[in-house]
Amino acid sequence: MAREMAFITRGVRRCSTPRFLLWLTPWVALLLFGAYCAGLCLVKGLNQTNMDNRYAFGLWIFVDLTIIALGAGAFFTGFLLYILKFKELKAVINSAVVIGVVCYSGAMCALMVDVGQPLRAWFTFWYPNVHSMLTEVTFCISCYLTVLLIEYLPILLKNRKLREVPAFLVFEFELHKLIYVLAGVGTFLSFFHQGSLGGLYGVLRGRPFAFREGILVWPSTFFLFIISAAAVGPSFLIFTTWLVETITGKRLAKDRVFDLLARISGILLSVYVLAKSVDTLIWINRTSPSLGFAASQYYDWKPFGTWILFAEIVLCGLVPALILLTPRLRARRGWLIPAAALACCGIALNRYVQTVQTLALPTLSFDRFLSYTPSWQETGTFLGVLAYGVLVYSFSFRYFQIFPEERELKIEVRPQQEEPALAGRF
Amino acid sequence: MFPWNYGFHFGIASYIFLGAFYTVLVVVVTTLLNAFWRAHRDLSKGKAEDIRWHSDFHDLPAADRTCRHVLTGEFKSRECVRAFDCRECETHAKLVALHPPAAAAEDEIFGMSFPLDRMYHRGHTWARPEVDGTVTVGLDELGTRLLGTPDAVDLPGPGSRIRANGTAFRVHRREADVRVLSPIDGEVIETGGVDRGYFLRVKPLTESFDMRHLLRGAEVKPWMMRELERLQLALTMEGATVPSLADGGVPVSDIAAAYPKTDWDAVCGEMFLEP
Repeated sequence: MAREMAFITRGVRRCSTPRFLLWLTPWVALLLFGAYCAGLCLVKGLNQTNMDNRYAFGLWIFVDLTIIALGAGAFFTGFLLYILKFKELKAVINSAVVIGVVCYSGAMCALMVDVGQPLRAWFTFWYPNVHSMLTEVTFCISCYLTVLLIEYLPILLKNRKLREVPAFLVFEFELHKLIYVLAGVGTFLSFFHQGSLGGLYGVLRGRPFAFREGILVWPSTFFLFIISAAAVGPSFLIFTTWLVETITGKRLAKDRVFDLLARISGILLSVYVLAKSVDTLIWINRTSPSLGFAASQYYDWKPFGTWILFAEIVLCGLVPALILLTPRLRARRGWLIPAAALACCGIALNRYVQTVQTLALPTLSFDRFLSYTPSWQETGTFLGVLAYGVLVYSFSFRYFQIFPEERELKIEVRPQQEEPALAGRF
Repeated sequence: MFPWNYGFHFGIASYIFLGAFYTVLVVVVTTLLNAFWRAHRDLSKGKAEDIRWHSDFHDLPAADRTCRHVLTGEFKSRECVRAFDCRECETHAKLVALHPPAAAAEDEIFGMSFPLDRMYHRGHTWARPEVDGTVTVGLDELGTRLLGTPDAVDLPGPGSRIRANGTAFRVHRREADVRVLSPIDGEVIETGGVDRGYFLRVKPLTESFDMRHLLRGAEVKPWMMRELERLQLALTMEGATVPSLADGGVPVSDIAAAYPKTDWDAVCGEMFLEP
């Protein structure tokens, strides 16, 4: 047990090994259940799910799109720190990378189950359809996951015990010096795959609810997905940092770091809300009517009423943007955290609308309104991905220096111990 | 993917898409190989200890990286950019030429002995040149009081080489496992121990060895004042109730024993510059 504790960063306090194991137990159980569900889908096929030829995108794609947007904090924080030199973000960059690794690897796992036939997974890379946005997504996500794993290496090798090995220490040092190259590549890849994910829906001419006009080959959703991911990445970082602070009872980042992230998120969220509003107005007044549909028709099908549009743009877009842009409000955790959470919910809602509502709505005269509820195998696989994320983050938080300011901030929350009075001055 | 694959078509889309993909791949692989090559080069040149110190120094809080000339009041604030190796520092050379360090008035500082015949490293070691051309290396008084009677000491064997700011030796006390920084470059010719008052006798690598990076004379007292403040802060950070400077008194001979509940590894890490 003492050996295990020797891996923990000097000067930070972590719970005892038994307590840590107790925390891990339910997540490991959930991961095993998820693995069983995924195994069923891979062995028996997609008949284990409630998807069909018409409802080909379900819970998994919704989850993939959401966690990839939330994981955008990794590329965007890296871009701000290493390219634009926002030095304050050093305090959260490691957390952003861990979140990125968790989100992207989790999304890849879910995609693998969704696509099925893992033995033929390499076909995507060997015989790519270069005209497909999905191909761009596959290549970019795979490449970016590789970049993230390389970016994760210095965090791992900086572990107190591992860096005692000279080869690890030296490699970590040299890799860290080149990290700005990887940050640049990550930004390039993220920029394109976030856009391509949005583009996937925007080019669906047969689905007027999702179809959008745009610039050259890129529909407006291409740009909206990029802006929304960049806007919500810092918000998700705020939310996760606060969540870890709450669970562990420690302060992990200074207020100025939260403030900077909130400001960045607020500015980008405002740009997104503006762009989304303009896009929606063009779609309502021009795009949709030109395809033979009045936009109001889409919202006749309950539960997808106009409330969903209001919730997406105003409640989870404009409201958090205003809070995050107001210095007095974002300085208070009581406002900041709900605003960050609302922004994250807004992006999740957007991805839900793009995936689920698009497929549910009838487009041809003989179509009917479809409903879809994920099967327990689909839900189990999703929960497995969630458990995997919690486990990776928990291990990373325990053994690696995820928040470099943690030790410095300890003084502000730690009650003083009673010590014997035999010390002189010290 | 490749022109020889089934179904591959040459076209503008293929050129753009695959061109971008291969460029990314080449950049990532080149970066990784570059890091491997640099690491291999550093290891073969024996730079691991230098890198360890530079990495540690980079991770120290900004307040701990203060230039020695701030301690003496020559600058209001200045961060050392040479990882406490003043031998190549032009600013240090200029300032020393203008104001050579004065001799210390006394060898006792806050009840601790800091003999004037030696020079001090900021990692709490001293180096004393001997008449036979060797240099004796030991722990200064504050370092000794921090570690008290060590549980174990790992000393390098005679014949091994140590580098300034590299690991000189390791000391274990309670849960603390501390690497103590070497004040000079040299080859170990003899090892001592706590009872012998020194830890290493070192033969410098060159005839005219350079000790400009070490503190001496009147520089020691302001540095020690800063160190006591750092110790106070480190103890407070670990949750200990620490008397203030106004309370008076001097550090006890075994500070570790005086704070049995405090995370001593963290306190020693802070004081011996190992974050």
